Amino acid sequence: MTEKLPRSVVEPKNPRLNVSRGANLPHVPGIRVGDYIFLSGMGPIDPRTGERNHGPIAEQIRTTLSNMRHMLESADSSLERVVRVHVVLADISDMAEMDRVYREFFPVDPPARTAWSMQLRFGNGCEIECVALAN
Amino acid sequence: MSPRREIIVPAVHAPDTASSFGQAVSTVVRGGDFLFVRGLTAIDPQSGERVRGTTASETRQILTHLKQLLEAAGSSLEKVVKVNVWLHSMLEAPNMNEVYARFFSDPPPARTVCGARLPDGVKVIIECTALA
Repeated sequence: MTEKLPRSVVEPKNPRLNVSRGANLPHVPGIRVGDYIFLSGMGPIDPRTGERNHGPIAEQIRTTLSNMRHMLESADSSLERVVRVHVVLADISDMAEMDRVYREFFPVDPPARTAWSMQLRFGNGCEIECVALAN
Repeated sequence: MSPRREIIVPAVHAPDTASSFGQAVSTVVRGGDFLFVRGLTAIDPQSGERVRGTTASETRQILTHLKQLLEAAGSSLEKVVKVNVWLHSMLEAPNMNEVYARFFSDPPPARTVCGARLPDGVKVIIECTALA
């Protein structure tokens, strides 16, 4: 394995979802390296406005996972190609509700997942990151 | 050719309120050359029921289970490249480490440990990425 694996930036087709670039943060939305796509943690951003969506947690999860789907599809991958997910919640008591919405996005053969709770920035109720296979 | 994605060990179907025990989470997923293991919590290997214990005993249960899962998938603890450990309290890190060290031969994998709020009163969650 002496040859260098190609490494490229994953960016959403919808520029409103390019949060890190928009806020001048020192990270990219995702990196593709070889067959793998590593996405940064994503929060609940309204794809129409680029603003944070702080509605009920179910809505925040749905928004975040919809955006994750968009991000993966922008990189020619898909939710079906996700192998590992981290779900971080601001409030541990949102776990069941998170899981209820999460199932809508991964109805069969879901990825490995770990979920926990800790402090999140900007009043976000969730942050979700994943590793996916490229197509 | 696109890399293979395969569910090696599917979701655990035990009735439990813990999200990690629901059907929306696979336990071991192969993606290309790696195995991705979900965050494991302490369960009785026979009954599949949750086990409540100390940080040390939960760590032991989890790593015993992890070893079995990896070996059943044709991998092993020696092939683990990265581990993430979540503890209900970072004060418990030495108790976790003492047990953890017995499972991994030298050199052990890369690892991150952090304290967080964990679902359903579990004290430890351990997840890993291993070579298939």
